[in-house]
Amino acid sequence: MSLLEIKNAHLKLDDKNILNGVSLSVNKGEVHAIMGPNGSGKSTLSYMLAGRDGYELEEGEILLDGISLSEMEADERARSGLFLAFQYPVELPGVGGMSFLREAVNSRRKFLGEKELDHLAFVKEARKEASKMYVKDEMLKRAVNVGFSGGEKKRFEILQMAMLKPTVSILDETDSGLDVDALKIVSDGVNAQRNNDNAIVVITHYQRLLDYIVPDFVHILSDGLIIKSGGPELALEVEKNGYSGLINAA
Amino acid sequence: MQHSIKDDYINSIKNYTNQFEVTNFRRIACNDFKNWPSPREETWRLSRLGSLSRKKIKPINPNLKKNNNNTTNLIGSTIIQFIDGAYREDLSSKLPSGVNLSVLSDSESLKYLQKIKKSNLSDHPSTNVSLSCTPSIMKLTVSKDIKVKDFLEIIYEGGEDSQSVHPVLYLELEENSSLFLIERFNHLTSLAMPLQLIELRNKASLNSIKIFNDHEKTYNLSANCVYLSKESYLNSFSLIKGGIFTRSETHAYLNGCNSKLNLNGVYISSDNQHHDLTTAIYHDVPDCTSKQIVRGVLGGKSTGVFQGKVRVAQDAQRTDGQQMSRAILLSDTASANAKPELEIYADDVICAHGATVGELDDDQLFYLNSRGVPMDKAREILIKAFLEDMINQSVDNSLHDFVFKEAELALSSIIPKETL
Repeated sequence: MSLLEIKNAHLKLDDKNILNGVSLSVNKGEVHAIMGPNGSGKSTLSYMLAGRDGYELEEGEILLDGISLSEMEADERARSGLFLAFQYPVELPGVGGMSFLREAVNSRRKFLGEKELDHLAFVKEARKEASKMYVKDEMLKRAVNVGFSGGEKKRFEILQMAMLKPTVSILDETDSGLDVDALKIVSDGVNAQRNNDNAIVVITHYQRLLDYIVPDFVHILSDGLIIKSGGPELALEVEKNGYSGLINAA
Repeated sequence: MQHSIKDDYINSIKNYTNQFEVTNFRRIACNDFKNWPSPREETWRLSRLGSLSRKKIKPINPNLKKNNNNTTNLIGSTIIQFIDGAYREDLSSKLPSGVNLSVLSDSESLKYLQKIKKSNLSDHPSTNVSLSCTPSIMKLTVSKDIKVKDFLEIIYEGGEDSQSVHPVLYLELEENSSLFLIERFNHLTSLAMPLQLIELRNKASLNSIKIFNDHEKTYNLSANCVYLSKESYLNSFSLIKGGIFTRSETHAYLNGCNSKLNLNGVYISSDNQHHDLTTAIYHDVPDCTSKQIVRGVLGGKSTGVFQGKVRVAQDAQRTDGQQMSRAILLSDTASANAKPELEIYADDVICAHGATVGELDDDQLFYLNSRGVPMDKAREILIKAFLEDMINQSVDNSLHDFVFKEAELALSSIIPKETL
């Protein structure tokens, strides 16, 4: 059984068709990349999966580990094991990084029937994971994403992923705004999470990220439809010929 | 002439003040109280006293045997207790050295009146009614060069249904002195009209926290007149959460170069409460700084008002005046008004203001939801952060926790109702 199954997803925003029948199966242990030009529906797809208000499906279905997500709110989906790394992580003035992480982790643990971590155990765990992502203690004391650089924001996203241990992670343009060094740290962080029980969907414009997070499958999204699927070589084709060649051929 | 309840109130004040000579400060003040402010007056347009003027009220005759009701967690090491508007030495602590509390004589009281009358609080109802009816004007002085280490806490209690209470304070910080002052308004009365004159001499520094937490039926019309001399500093924070109608009006005069003022406030309003922070800051000399952050959280059918005027006189070059107000509405029936006003006559100034009224941010809520945090918890986190962020910026470190807990207590009554 697939870990994530998108079946014929249709979605409209302001009466405009954005997703026009996307289907995708992601199995345990796989990394899929979804590539596409601006306006192809990539971010809409990620919001739809995460359950943002206003991004409900017109038609179609999504299953996470066999369970339908359509009736679940965003928070329930997250607790069930779906994670979205934001393209633009949101600033939360006044909400400390450490307490934010703790709230998130304990929500997930409660759902899984695990005991909530006490303060000390949590801080220890958070520091351990944070150091792997080069996130300093001082950053955890600050308000979430407030005054963070582009690289810090993305590192903090992947730190959350590491702590929440999701079954399916959607990484929405995680490479945007990153220099080469930051890209490497973030990619290493993501790769460290890869295992045989989870799956990762990487959404990106550029092939560049896929040199670091090497996908098993690559899909091209255009006008709300997956027009072509293939292996990592498909990404190289995009890099060489641009999207237009593929779209015209389709 | 038609007899009205309002006339009853004025007459009872007159009857009381008539026993004094015509030149007495009480008589003068009483003559100036003609009526409750009408909604036609610009600064009372958003905070109307119509229902107050229809209430049958009399100025209280303080009961000097009444006991205090200190159920609140005291934080100060020195307590000054007012009950029914009267200072109660028997219930107050011994003051630290260099701090003195005294009753103003009639002639000093007259000077007090003249000072307030020079300000734009001259027609405020609390000025005239409280000066007419106060048991006595209490003067708290911190002597030159004295830095008071411990917190001083003033607690205002008492009052009765259908009565008005009139504590009047004169706070003078002499040159180079400093004080931490916490004031709590916990009246159980129909109307409280606290009046204060604060004078900060050269290099004096005052950290002031006011917590308005009167009974749910109380009207509180607090009036404060502040004069800042050269290089003096006032860091003022007000938390308005109690009463059916609480308006704190402060007029601050920056009269000495390099004086610095922070005039911050939070209001937390629920049910049918009306909360109003009205301020006016007058930059009269060069090189002064004023900063204002005001935040409101409103639920139920409550209403909130922030009116903030900043006037920069022609000579007040290099003034830095910042003002920012934000209100968050948690229900469709709550409303908030913000009225920033800048009057600038100098040309070399930095002045900025901004005001927003809105709901919680959708992006922020979604971000929290996407991390597994349920909607009601996400709202709670954001509301608390909205206030904590501001409290951390505007209250001295040592009092963050205390002030935030006071705010949290009020939030607990609006968050669950609005989110479940």
